[in-house]
Amino acid sequence: MPYVLLIVINAVFVNNFVLSRFLGICPFLGVSKKTDTALGMGLAVIFVMGVASVITYAIDLALVAAGIEYLRTIVFILVIAALIQLVEIFVKRFSPSLYSALGVYLPLITTNCAVLGVAIMNVTELATTNILYSFVNGVASGVGFTIAILILAGIREKMEIADIPESFKGFPITLAAAAVIAMGFAAFSGLSFG
Amino acid sequence: MPVALEILIPVLLLTGLAIVFAVLIAVCSKKFAVVTDDRVDKVASLLSGANCGGCGYAGCDAFAAALVKGEAQLSMCNATSKANKALIAEVLGGADTGEETIVVCACSGGELCSDKYDYQGYGDCASVELLAGGRKSCPVGCIGMSKCVSECPAHAIDIVGGVAVVDQGKCISCGRCIMYCPKKLLKRIPASAKYYIACSNCDKGKEVRVNCAHGCIGCELCAKNCPEGAITLKDNLPVIDYGKCVSCGVCAEKCPSKCILTVKSK
Repeated sequence: MPYVLLIVINAVFVNNFVLSRFLGICPFLGVSKKTDTALGMGLAVIFVMGVASVITYAIDLALVAAGIEYLRTIVFILVIAALIQLVEIFVKRFSPSLYSALGVYLPLITTNCAVLGVAIMNVTELATTNILYSFVNGVASGVGFTIAILILAGIREKMEIADIPESFKGFPITLAAAAVIAMGFAAFSGLSFG
Repeated sequence: MPVALEILIPVLLLTGLAIVFAVLIAVCSKKFAVVTDDRVDKVASLLSGANCGGCGYAGCDAFAAALVKGEAQLSMCNATSKANKALIAEVLGGADTGEETIVVCACSGGELCSDKYDYQGYGDCASVELLAGGRKSCPVGCIGMSKCVSECPAHAIDIVGGVAVVDQGKCISCGRCIMYCPKKLLKRIPASAKYYIACSNCDKGKEVRVNCAHGCIGCELCAKNCPEGAITLKDNLPVIDYGKCVSCGVCAEKCPSKCILTVKSK
C-alpha cells in the first residue's frame, strides 16, 4: 500500500508527465483555452492511460516471453490505437453520456506521446511485477496531466482579459505561463521519502 | 537466428496484429453500431456551415439535429441558400414554406422597467449580465447597454427608451444579435407578421407588474379577444400562431400592459 501511494505522488507531482517529462505537450497547449474543455481532455487522458497501462502490461509479458521485447514501441502504438478505437465504439454504444463528455478528445489522444510514454515507462522505468501498479501509475499519470492542464487553462482564461504587451499576446505568454508552472512543479523533485 | 528470420518475425508479427485489430474493429463497429438518424448528417451538409449562431443554436450541426427533431424551423436560418433549403425540406419530408423571417426584440420594458442597481462603468450587456443577471429588476428585461447595437452589421438596431428596437428597413435578418443578446430577447418571427409579443417574462402578473409597466401580466385578454383564436397562453405568456393571425390588431388594442407591439414598418 505505501508503494502504491509512492507511485501516485511520483506520477502526479514529482514526475508530472507534462511539466517534468515534457510528454503530451500538444494537448496541453492545444486544448487549454477553457477549463471545461481542458477537463474533458484530462478525463479522456485518465481513462485512456488507465486502460492502456493494463493492456500493454499484459502484452509486454507476452513480448518478453517470446524474446522480442525490442518490438515494444511499435507494438504498443498499434495496440493502443486499436484499443482506443474499440473503447470508443463500446462507449458510444453503451454510455452515450460518457461519449459526449469525452467527445472528440478520445480519438484525439489515441496516438498521444504521453499515453505511449506511460505504457513504456510502466515496463521499463517502473519495472513492476504487478499489473495493479501499472494501472495505478497509468491513472495517476492521467491525473497529473489533468491537474497540469487545468492549472494552465485557468491561467489562460484570466489572461484573456489581462493587459498583456501586444507581442506577448496568445501563444508566447502561454508558453511563459507553462514554464512558470513547470518551475513550480520542479520543487516537488526535492521530495524524499526516507 | 538467421538474418532472414530476424526480419521476418517482426514483419509477420506486426502484419498479423494489424490484421487481427482491423478485423476486430470492423466487426465491433458493425455489431455495436449506434443507430443514428442519417438525416441529421444530410441536413447538416446542406446547411450553410457558417456556424453563425443566428438560429440560436450552438452551430449548424446542433441546428440540423433540432431540425430533424422538429424543434426548429428552417426559416430560422438565413445563411442557407434557398435551393439548399428546398433540398433540406425534401430530406425532412415537409414542404419548404420558404418564408422569410424578421428579428424583433421581445421586451418593451426599458425605462418603464425598474433597475436593481445603478451600473456605472465599462462594458455592454454581456458584462452587466455577469453582475447578478443584469441591472434590470426583471430577470428577462432588455438591459439596454447596446451589445446588439454594436454587433449589428447593418446598424439596424437602436436603443429607444432603454430597450432595443430593430429597424426592419435596415435589418438583413442575419441573426447576429440573436447570438449576442445575453437575455436571448431577440427572436425571429415571420416577415409577414405585423404584431409580436414584446415581453418574455413568464412570472405571474403581480410579480411582473411590480417591476415593469410594460410587462405581460398573463391576463389572457389578447387570447380571449382574438377573432381568429390565434393566441394561446403558454407559461403566462401569449403565443401568436402566425399561421392563423390576420394582423387585425385587436390584441394590441386590448392589451392593458401595451406589450403587444406592431412591427416597425419597412
